[in-house]
Amino acid sequence: MQVYDAPIRDMRFVLEELHNDDGFGDLEGFEDFDGDMIAAILEEANKLCKEVLLPLNWPGDQEGCHIENGVVRTPKGFQEAYKAFCEGGWAGLGVDPKWGGQGAPHALGKMVEEMTCSTNLSFGLYPGLTGGAMVALEAHGSDELKNFYMPRMASGEWSGTMCLTEPHCGTDLGMLRTKAVPQDDGGFLVTGNKIFISAGDHDLTDNIVHLVLARLPDAPPGVKGISLFLVPKYLPNEDGSLGNRNGAGPTAIEHKMGLKASATCQMTFEDSKGWLIGEPNKGLAAMFTMMNTERVAVGIQGLGIGEIAYQSAVWYAKDRLQGRSLSGVKNPDGPADPIIVHPDVRRMLMTMRAYNEGSRAVSAWVSRALDAEHAAKEPEARERAKDFVALMTPVVKSLFTDLGHESAHLAVQVYGGHGYIQESGVEQFARDARIAQIYEGTNGIQALDLVGRKLPDRMGRNLRSFFHPVSQFIEDNAADPAIGKMVGGLQQAFGALQLSTGHIAQKGLKDPEEAAAAATDYLKLLGYVAMGYCFAKAAKISAAALEAGTDDKAFYEAKIITARFFFDRLLPPVMAQMMAITSGKASMMDMPEDAF
Amino acid sequence: MANTINKVCVIGAGTMGAGIAAQVANAGVPVLLLDIVPKDGENRNAIAEGAVAKMLKTQPAPFMSKRAAKLVETGNIDDHLDKVAECDWVVEAIIERLDIKQSLYEKLEAVRKPGTAVSSNTSTIPLAQLTDGRSDQFKQDFLITHFFNPPRYMRLIEIVAGPQSNADTVAMVSDFVDRKLGKSVVDAEDSPGFIANRVGTFWIQQAVNSAFEQGITVEEADEIGGRPMGVPKTGIFGLIDLIGIDLMPHLMKSLTSTLPKDDPYQAIARSEPLIEKMIEEGYTGRKGKGGFYMLEKGADGSRTKMAKNLQTGEYAPARGSRLVHGSAARGDLGKLISAKGKVGDYAWAVLGPTLSYAAMIVPEATKTVVGVDDAMKLGYNWKFGPFEMIDKIGVTTLIERLEADGLPVPEMLRIADGRPFYRVEGGKRQYLGTDGEYHDIVRAEGVLKLEDIKLSSEPLLANGSAALWDVGDGVVALEFTGKMNALDEQVMKIIKKAVPLVQKDYKALVVYNEGSNFSAGANLGLAMFALNIAAWSEVEKSVKGGQDAYKALKYAPFPVVSAPFGMALGGGCEICLNSDATQAHAETYIGLVETGVGIIPGWGGCGEMLSRWINNPKYPKGPMPAVSKVFEIVSTATVAKSAAEAKELGFLRHDDGITMNRDRLLFDAKQRALAMVDGYQAPEKPEYRLPGPSGAAALKLAVDSFHQQGKATDHDVTVAGELARVLTGGDTDPTEITTEADLLKLEVEGFMRLARNPKSQARVEHMLETGKPLRN
Repeated sequence: MQVYDAPIRDMRFVLEELHNDDGFGDLEGFEDFDGDMIAAILEEANKLCKEVLLPLNWPGDQEGCHIENGVVRTPKGFQEAYKAFCEGGWAGLGVDPKWGGQGAPHALGKMVEEMTCSTNLSFGLYPGLTGGAMVALEAHGSDELKNFYMPRMASGEWSGTMCLTEPHCGTDLGMLRTKAVPQDDGGFLVTGNKIFISAGDHDLTDNIVHLVLARLPDAPPGVKGISLFLVPKYLPNEDGSLGNRNGAGPTAIEHKMGLKASATCQMTFEDSKGWLIGEPNKGLAAMFTMMNTERVAVGIQGLGIGEIAYQSAVWYAKDRLQGRSLSGVKNPDGPADPIIVHPDVRRMLMTMRAYNEGSRAVSAWVSRALDAEHAAKEPEARERAKDFVALMTPVVKSLFTDLGHESAHLAVQVYGGHGYIQESGVEQFARDARIAQIYEGTNGIQALDLVGRKLPDRMGRNLRSFFHPVSQFIEDNAADPAIGKMVGGLQQAFGALQLSTGHIAQKGLKDPEEAAAAATDYLKLLGYVAMGYCFAKAAKISAAALEAGTDDKAFYEAKIITARFFFDRLLPPVMAQMMAITSGKASMMDMPEDAF
Repeated sequence: MANTINKVCVIGAGTMGAGIAAQVANAGVPVLLLDIVPKDGENRNAIAEGAVAKMLKTQPAPFMSKRAAKLVETGNIDDHLDKVAECDWVVEAIIERLDIKQSLYEKLEAVRKPGTAVSSNTSTIPLAQLTDGRSDQFKQDFLITHFFNPPRYMRLIEIVAGPQSNADTVAMVSDFVDRKLGKSVVDAEDSPGFIANRVGTFWIQQAVNSAFEQGITVEEADEIGGRPMGVPKTGIFGLIDLIGIDLMPHLMKSLTSTLPKDDPYQAIARSEPLIEKMIEEGYTGRKGKGGFYMLEKGADGSRTKMAKNLQTGEYAPARGSRLVHGSAARGDLGKLISAKGKVGDYAWAVLGPTLSYAAMIVPEATKTVVGVDDAMKLGYNWKFGPFEMIDKIGVTTLIERLEADGLPVPEMLRIADGRPFYRVEGGKRQYLGTDGEYHDIVRAEGVLKLEDIKLSSEPLLANGSAALWDVGDGVVALEFTGKMNALDEQVMKIIKKAVPLVQKDYKALVVYNEGSNFSAGANLGLAMFALNIAAWSEVEKSVKGGQDAYKALKYAPFPVVSAPFGMALGGGCEICLNSDATQAHAETYIGLVETGVGIIPGWGGCGEMLSRWINNPKYPKGPMPAVSKVFEIVSTATVAKSAAEAKELGFLRHDDGITMNRDRLLFDAKQRALAMVDGYQAPEKPEYRLPGPSGAAALKLAVDSFHQQGKATDHDVTVAGELARVLTGGDTDPTEITTEADLLKLEVEGFMRLARNPKSQARVEHMLETGKPLRN
């Protein structure tokens, strides 16, 4: 059974308690979002997610999307849910109030995203894509385009897409073929085929605003010749009413492993009227403006799935009676004990729980940095936030989606044979979670981004934003009796991370393949150290709260136990990544291609 | 005839004459600088005196020290020409007019003592014409010594001996300019433009013509014609801006009037209307309103580099050109000239005719290919001489392309017959002579080059950052080999291994290399990375590791001589400070610059500098004066602008040696080390009596006053505070002994506190990104 109630207490903990000393200082422009406001927004979002989105999740998966006569139909109930979503103002939660948005910080927005991802990932993609398109449009569009489109997108009236991938080019966008031919009126005619376009067409909004990567006629080859265009599904009239179709539409939808209620379209653009966003040939850079927030958002998808998988597994482990506890009968009135009494079931549940809490803590830190990039008062803090976002974006995207996927499979395992049956609802998590490891840059690409670009950049400057606070924390807290043991574990892992970093920096300089061979292991190690740091901090805060006397004893005690589990069971094996990292590329690259 | 030159007279106090006089003085040799009596004014020596005064303000400085300036005696040719009788060599560097030169020589003949060498610095007038009408004795003592501008810094000198020149006189002058003035002598024949300017002028003309003909931009021309050819990045047009666009017509006129009519230069010599207009309007290059490039200042103080459009004559923001890729960008000339499109077209249009021309002037302008190559490398800072370039392309390929284009194929290329102009045979570098045979390149006596040693031997030890070489006679050379000769753990590893190795099988060690600079210090990039990942213990380990290595050198049971040249900064300076002696090239720029990047010397530099000043007999005793002096020098990151100045600052000892000629540095350092072998005893460990906190407080007072005046930033105060703590001995007082180990420990502590300071990190980062210090 798909069970969900938003972990609001933990969300508030990571938002309001955990990162107060992250060095970014007070952020400007978010003064209204105090504790009460945060609580109210999270409660409201939880309500919508539980009552509207969750009930559509499994049926939506069963029904899927359909294309009929060139029109995509979303599953039953999605239109009403979308209407409720927009009416609640959720479409513009993080959007600047001048476009009609709520102006909420990323840190809060990402928590709401986590809820929608938990309760209906397919649904979440529709407004999610609109959000990404708005970021790119806001940063690079002309005032004319922004004034016209931003308010309509912020309200959810119109939705957005990102059209990058083509049949022959995904990761390597340099090979892109879609053309844009300039017209006398300053516009362009866009022609080409795109695939894997999420929310490329649907029946939730009247109009869809496609952001399309294409080449100008005189563009240089490769990624330096790509420009970004805004191409609406319907050409709007000046008053916003819809005019003619614009030659842009779906030709098919993909039949996928999961995420079935999200329409993944093959698109054709045929002399579709478009407007240039940003500079000619700078389309990729414009796209990258939203890449960080988008990649963090995909990481959140992993966390969202992980959370609902955990809650559903806990429900089942308490409900399912099988066998007896090894330490004596726990449910004498029943025919058997609930399976939650078994250590191995505990192992799975605690693993999922630690993944989720660790990820959430890191996500709140990175999201706060996303805000601080622009809103921190001190220029140094803004710089540091920027460095931190650059460093952690691939980690969040890759690590969270890997962990979310693992949690989904653990949930199936907790359910046993029932988990493998569709009606249980949990196998959907495993299928839905899988795509997050692939899209928006595969996790392998994320790891390459980390070791190839983020790590060596400016002699390791990005690393400073992470390594320095962790190092300082270890120095300051090694002798703390409450968390000293955890700090010891963190110190060991951090040492392994430092050595690995040095190793990659040195080897990678001479041979990029060496760095690439270490990439995935390194990302994992760094991600676990980040979680470890957050857990140790959380434990410190919890111990202090318990010491001071708190009416939320259960929460803080549980937090400490989860932290202990993380340091006892999850962090130690990851330290061994260092051995993999320092072993070099030889054993994977020596095999002749013919021998495969 | 004099056997040695003890006093020199330079006649003509223009840029060249004054610069030559300054360089003679830099060598410690008295020099008489004469010019004409000015038409008006009371001071009859005003011109020569003015020249010296101006040089004392010029940057880069013609004088290596103020003391050198005192060796220049000024005068005028009407009143003081008889003083020429005291001189062993007279250099004439007056206006390039035959009649005036001849009349001066006539007067000189009357006053000079026979045997006094007389040379002209002419760049255009044939020797035979200069001495026309003079006595045989004068002709025997006469030669041409063609210096390049500025004489202190340009290493090339072309020497032309006439048919009657006395070989001993020529040898005496050659030896003097080589050993004392530090120049590299290239023997030239008495032909127009000699070697470097003849090839150089042809090259520039051909490159300018081709740029106009092919319609490429100045940025593109300089990209293709610069680095990829091993030419300084100024390329062609940047170079013309530097030497002055208005000079071009003069050079052209002088060469077209003296070269034979069938010389290929005559065919290409022409002036562009655009360039004539630029000269007319004062756009003569960097010295004028601008040239092919110009820095345009915006209203907000920003500067934009503008470039001239050769077609329209308008300036537009310079566009970074990135045309040359792959191996062609990294010195593969064959690839470069055969590249498709404008890169190959332009590269060939410049190189083909220029290399052909260079090959044509052998043996007319100089007897060997080596002469041409040396002249271009030393006079125009080319990385490779024309014949080295031909070897890179392949002489057969070059001939084929020249023939295909109907360009002349000079005899020298035929003689090569497909063979390279240089080869290594039996560990010796050889060149191809005009006789079609290979001949050893023979180094002058007293010249020892590591590059030669490398041809015939393997290093005793080597890793990515350093190597040890047996340089003969029981001496080992420690060479830095990392990027920019940066110092890192690897260097320290080799040093640690060097000590037992030299002790066992050798007599002495010299620290020497043949990079562009001795060493600009520790590998900052590595350090920055370590700081960024908070690898504090690693950083501390590398500070201590450097101290251990340098002290191991200092107390090794054999003499260690450092041989710095160019930049010797930070750790590069500290290795010299820890050596038994230093044999420095005259052009050594040495200093402890750590404060510039927000840290303090950490490899023993503080204690060694204290010792230098405490033991300076001319300096006041007591705990404070030496401390204050070192504090002043190090806190301001003072860099000596010459070896002579380094002695004044204490980076060199007063009895340390100075070698004027770069090529002689290793030999001199080695001799110095060998001279110390007999009875050598490692130095005793110094003990200091230092002022302690009260001294630090006094230094802080001075810094605070600078801070109040806005001359020191907040972080300057922090850094200076740490430096003061080390130099004053920490928590000591003058009644206590501070040991070397104490000081080293203080260095580490101060260094680490600063290394962890974000403001110091920002300084290191800024230095890495911009090459300039950050004042935060």
